[in-house]
Formats: sequence, C-alpha cells, structure tokens
Amino acid sequence: MSSSPELAVSTAGAATPAVRVREVTHVYGNGSAAVTAVGPIDLTVPAGSVLVLVGASGCGKSTLLRLVAGFERPSTGTVRVAGEPPRPGHSAGLVFQQPRLLPWRSVGGNVALALRYAGVPQQERARRVPELLTRVGLRDVARRRVWEISGGQQQRVALARALAVEHPLLLLDEPFAALDALTRERLQEDFRRVTAETGRTCVFVTHSVDEAVFLGSRVVVLTSRPGRVALDLDIDLPRTGVEPDELRGLPEYAALRATIGHAVRSAAV
Amino acid sequence: MTAAPTIARPANPGSRRGRGLALRLGAIAVLLVLWQLTATVMRNPTFIPYPEAVWDRLIETSTTHDGVRGYSGHLLIEHLGVSLRRILIGSVIGVAGGLLLGVVMGTVGWIRVVTEPVVTFVRALPPLAYFSLFIIWFGIDEAPKLWLLSIAALPPVAVATASAVQGAPATLVEAVRALGAGRWQVTRDVVLPQALPEIFTGIRLAVGIAYSSVVAAETVNGVPGIGGMVRDAQRYSQTDVVVLGLFAIGLSGLAIDALLRTAEKRLIPWRGRA
Repeated sequence: MSSSPELAVSTAGAATPAVRVREVTHVYGNGSAAVTAVGPIDLTVPAGSVLVLVGASGCGKSTLLRLVAGFERPSTGTVRVAGEPPRPGHSAGLVFQQPRLLPWRSVGGNVALALRYAGVPQQERARRVPELLTRVGLRDVARRRVWEISGGQQQRVALARALAVEHPLLLLDEPFAALDALTRERLQEDFRRVTAETGRTCVFVTHSVDEAVFLGSRVVVLTSRPGRVALDLDIDLPRTGVEPDELRGLPEYAALRATIGHAVRSAAV
Repeated sequence: MTAAPTIARPANPGSRRGRGLALRLGAIAVLLVLWQLTATVMRNPTFIPYPEAVWDRLIETSTTHDGVRGYSGHLLIEHLGVSLRRILIGSVIGVAGGLLLGVVMGTVGWIRVVTEPVVTFVRALPPLAYFSLFIIWFGIDEAPKLWLLSIAALPPVAVATASAVQGAPATLVEAVRALGAGRWQVTRDVVLPQALPEIFTGIRLAVGIAYSSVVAAETVNGVPGIGGMVRDAQRYSQTDVVVLGLFAIGLSGLAIDALLRTAEKRLIPWRGRA
C-alpha cells in the first residue's frame, strides 16, 4: 500500500486536544424510566493518538462515541472536538459495526459520494476513488455492486469512505466485530498501518481486549452502566517497523493483555 | 446487509423456467377444455359462449366484414388502443401526483396528519362512486374518464411513497450524515432511492386500479374503447364479444404488468439486498 502525501493529515496544533470530554453524563429516557448510560466521565485525547475504549456490552462506550460524533448531546458536561462542539459530518469520520453502504451505488460510487460531500470536484473524485480503495487494500472493485463483495471488503469500503473526508479525527464503533476471525485480524493489521501512515487521531470502541492492545496507543477501560473510566493505560508498544505476529509474541503484549483483561472483567461486575 | 457476497442460484435456471412455462400452458389448455365442456353441456351461447365463437369474434372485430369495420366502426385493436391510452395518461398523472403527495406526506408531519384521512377516504371509494360527480363536472368526453383514472391511481402511490419515505433506515441516514450530507442530500441520496422498491409496488397497484376502472369509465360514451365495446355487446346480448373484451383487457394487463416488473428489475437491482 503506497502512502500518498495528500491523505496524510497534519497533527500540528497539539495545544488543543483532538477530543475533550468534560464531566459528561448521558441519560436516556426521563422520570423513573431514566437510565444513566454514561458518566460522569472526563477524557482528553491528544492529536495523533489512537484511543481504544474497551468494556463489556452495554457499558455505554458506543454512546460515548456518539456523543463525540455529535449524534447525541450530553445531558450534562461538555464535549469538544478540536475546541468546537461536535457536528455530525463536520467533526469526524465515522465507521460503524455494519458497513452501512448504499446498495444503489457501486462500491466506487459509495466512496465518491463522500468526496462529493467534501466538495471534491468530479474529475478529482474519479482519481481519488481508486486511490482510497487501494489504501484500504482493495483493487478492481470500484465498479462492483455492494452485495457482490464480501463482508470484510464491505467494511474496508466503509473505512475508505470515512477516510475520504479528511477529518483529523476518526471514530470507529466496533468496526471489525461482525467479521470472522481471519478477516478481522487482517483488517486490524491494515488499520494499524493506515493509522500509522496518516497520523489521524482515532477513537476506537471495542469489546475485544486483544484488539485494544493491538491497535491502541492508549486504552481506556469503562465500567458497566453507567460507563466510567476504570483504567487508563498508555500502550508502549512499537507503532511501526514490527511484524504483527512479532508484536503479538512480545512479553509486554501478553502482560498488557492480562492487565486490561482483568480490568474489563472486574469493571463488568 | 448480510455478509453473503452472492445469492445461491438454482442449479439449472433454464430447465426451471421451461417447467414453469409448460405448467402455465398446461393450465391454459385444461381451462380451455373445461370451458368447451361447460359450453357444450349448457347449450346456451348467450349464457356461456363457445371458445370457437369468441375466436370468430376476434377475427371479425379485427377485420372489415361486409363493409362493417370491426365492432361499432372500430377495429378491436383500436378499441384496445384507446383504452390503453386512457390508462396510460390516467396512470401517469395519478402516479406523478401520488409521488409528489407521498414525498410531502412522508416528510412534513402536519401535512400527513391532514391528508392521510383524505387519501384513505378516497381509496375506500369505488371509482364508479365518484364517476357520476366527474360527469356532472366535466361532461361525458375524455375529461371525466382521465380524471377518474388519475384519482383512482393516486392513492396507492401516495400511501406507498409516504410509508417508504417515513421508513428510511436510520442507519443509512446516519451514515451519510456522518459524511457531511445535509437535509436535501440525505433525501436525494438515501431517502428516495431506498423508497424506490416500495414506490414501484405502489405504481404497479395504481396501474392495476386504472386498468380495472377503465371499463367502468367507458360505460358512458365509451366508444371507441374496450369498455364501450363490452357495454354495447351486453346490450345486444353478444356474450362472445363481452368475453372477447374481457380477454383483451386481461391479457394486455398481464403484458403491462410483466413490462413493469422487467423495468423494476432493471431500475432497482438492489431490491431485497439492502
């Protein structure tokens, strides 16, 4: 996969954190039916880091991500992305658990649509689409129908689509959870390389401890409902120049897995 | 969307299609034999005409015979053509109106609240019920017939469109909003395309209703027109012509529906995949 310079996003301006979550709570429903899904929680994500949120199902990690994306408003507290209140489509790229591609558009057409919203002129779109698809490890699929490619390939297209809009922040909500183990591992490796290449800030939600250690530069474990920070850990593993298998074989890797796994289990109670 | 990249196909589609065709032809043959048997037993051609008599009428109404052109001065194909033209114009107006109304109903809450009972009210009326009103308003020529067909075709399209627009999957809407789509872009790129399959079903229903209304519309000053032909034949107890008219309408209806289905397959290849 070749690295194209125009896709790389500047990580300058480190003074303003990419994401700042301050004393945020989020409550669903009201009255006696009210459920506090998140918080109170404080979280700062510096530009260029890959933060992985881990927790059991229903710990509010997806809600937290939706708050950062701007799809939900916090009940109390403030969320800031690059110093501004988040707006859907303007603050961050987003990848969901399901690919959510538009079946009435071709594979390339789905990526082109994102470029169109970003105001990229048509001629340039035609050039950028194959480039973006190549970046996520896809070749010769631009003209295919969405349902003609595999689930793993569809999720790669969803990633390419999110990368097309050049937000410095990328939010991912369990993007590989619905894939088979082999496909998931390959996508994790490719995702690790793409983030290292582009230097984008990522907030990545998962319930897999292994995925958290493998992808994150920092891992935050959330408690069960309401979601609060149970553990906040920097991952000091090499980000580049290491083979994935080699990385997974390191003793530090196993130690981090054990620590985070323990934290997730005790936070889920 | 499921992860399955391809849909399993029957092992040999050619032979399956062949079997279906054979089945249909067999069924038609059986019906013809039953018809012939019943007609022979009844011995009353005014009540049940012989298949052969209907065939003779087909030839007679399609040619000029003893100086008489077809039936009531028009060939069968001309009667059918006039009726089809009325169906086409009525359906186009009704579908266009239904689409427009449906999109507005599906997106603007208060308009839906106001118009939904009206549309349901009109849908519940048999078209003949308001035909008398249109004759009082628009006379007895083309206008009331086209009005009837348009009004009859509008509700199914409006209802289907409104429900499809309202039922746009939140997951896809959110996905394009996350890419920076505004309100209009969400409508154009997600809401309308995802509604197309349901809208198309509404269109097929609407054309069907226009079809079933045309004969009723042509009972008043309906010659040329299949309905007019059938009505005249009924007056003179020409049962074989009545049956011929029914066949003409029914068979052309089958052909039109097949055409619409083909168009649907080409226009909406993603049907059932989203």
